[in-house]
Amino acid sequence: MSKDFSVHVEHVTRVEGHGNIILDVKNGKIEKLQWNVVEAPRFFEAMLRGQQYNELRSITSRICGICSIGHSLASLKATEDALGVKITNQTATLRRLAIHAENMQSHILHIGYLVAPDLVGAGSVFSMLGKHTDTVLKIVKLHRLANEMSDLICGRTIHPIRLVVGGFSLQPTEKQLIQLKKRLLEAQELTTELAPIILSVAGNLPSFTRETEYIGLTSDEEYSFYDGDIASTDTGRHPKYQDYKEIMQEYIVPHSTAKYAKHARESYMVGALARFNLNSRQLHPVAQDIATLFKLKAINYNPFMNTIAQLVEFSHSIQDSISLIDTLVDQGIKQEKPVKPEKKAGRGVGIVEVPRGILVHDYTLNSQGYCTKANCIIPTNQNHANIQQDMEKLVPEIINQPEKEIELTLEMLVRAYDPCISCSTHYLDVSFK
Amino acid sequence: MKKKIAVIGLGNPLRRDDAIGLLLLQYLQQNKKKLSKTIDFIDGGTSGMKLLHLLGDYDTVLLLDAVDFKGSPGEIKKFTVDEIKNQKIQVFLSTHEPDFLTVYALLKELDKAPTHLVIFGVQPKDISHGTRLSQELNRFLPILQKQILEEIQLMIES
Repeated sequence: MSKDFSVHVEHVTRVEGHGNIILDVKNGKIEKLQWNVVEAPRFFEAMLRGQQYNELRSITSRICGICSIGHSLASLKATEDALGVKITNQTATLRRLAIHAENMQSHILHIGYLVAPDLVGAGSVFSMLGKHTDTVLKIVKLHRLANEMSDLICGRTIHPIRLVVGGFSLQPTEKQLIQLKKRLLEAQELTTELAPIILSVAGNLPSFTRETEYIGLTSDEEYSFYDGDIASTDTGRHPKYQDYKEIMQEYIVPHSTAKYAKHARESYMVGALARFNLNSRQLHPVAQDIATLFKLKAINYNPFMNTIAQLVEFSHSIQDSISLIDTLVDQGIKQEKPVKPEKKAGRGVGIVEVPRGILVHDYTLNSQGYCTKANCIIPTNQNHANIQQDMEKLVPEIINQPEKEIELTLEMLVRAYDPCISCSTHYLDVSFK
Repeated sequence: MKKKIAVIGLGNPLRRDDAIGLLLLQYLQQNKKKLSKTIDFIDGGTSGMKLLHLLGDYDTVLLLDAVDFKGSPGEIKKFTVDEIKNQKIQVFLSTHEPDFLTVYALLKELDKAPTHLVIFGVQPKDISHGTRLSQELNRFLPILQKQILEEIQLMIES
């Protein structure tokens, strides 16, 4: 079929990140296809220079309203690595709880408020009300629990304050943790009820596949979020975490102001599906049951399944949080003071998994404890090249579909990656030439 | 049962004038003895959907935020949600999440919206990346602090 058309999808919010989809087709042939990111320059690294080591966390926690716990933890790990601070087991356990809370918050927001409308054919979460009010209420309840969990562990829901260099400024009490466990058990039941509802519309996820590389943290002990080695589905484990730049090879492309990244192939993917593909054997059985329900098996090469991997991780985060609370209660929660640094100078690298993928903070501190150099590698930027590669394989496969469907499928692809800009894609201005 | 009043400051301290809501909130917290009723002060930062639950917990919510209403830098304006809808002014909570009206509309649909919601918007000059206010807002800050304290005192007493 020969036809001429263009799909130009532009982001129109005042956000720092703008992502555009540009597709021009002439006589049925693709003339131009670009995932075009025009982010304004980010100066966070420059803002960190000249700041004292104990200020770095609070600044980086403001980088992102969604991933403020993840940025805090990557920042603390980098600072502690530079200053030789060894945290206690209790701190490590509480930090794992914090990272689960954020993972749950972010995943349920993406699944429930941003992707579910696509699956049920609604324009937004409001259009889901009425026919799907019960589902929306389940999502709101789960989202609220995740918020309150981060409130309890980190001191507040938005931009945490209790996470400090060497530990916590205040720990939750045993009573509070037992109460939280009770609510997590209820949340797991609710998630089990939600899974078949999502399954009933999951057929609307495109069955597209493209082999690519997946990168994330991995560990022998657990399904990694807080700690582990960098790992790739192509090249295995890379224990030298300070050499992360050998894996995350950032580069610049002319049509985008955001950095792109590659490793063994022309692109790689990070996020829930990457973690699932690397570590699915370490999921809690209840989360594995959800994966089985959706026939999700490692290695899965369908980027649209990232949302389902998020649902699986949501369930895992609940179950692992319950286990972590049991450990804390069994050992008796202590009000510990943060461990003080023994030195002030050094270079440190902190790597964690945040909802959208692997996040790196790398600081150099001088002899007075002030930051002289900083580098942050953000997950969304690591996925841009992979989105572009997906589009190049996907468009020829769907080129005979109506323009509106092509446009929706491409938008759904971008949303599947859950980039920080995905929230605005529901408000896009779309024009056909 | 719903709690009474929350003052919520919004904004990003890494984007210059966007921090104005947070700076005004800090001032009110420091002067809370001058406010007669029990008020919860909340740093809402740049979080959009997380506010869904916070807003729903209160009868009255006063939001402090940088709002581009095409005024002069440092000008302060009081809005209700209806006024915002009519004037099509976008009030952003975050650089990454849905705008405020989206969050509010969902709350309304779920019958959880606060009975009274007032937004105090301050016209920003510069919301580029950086940690310092623009000269204009920095100059007006002491006046804005006094003004917001008086406005809230009046609202609470009435």
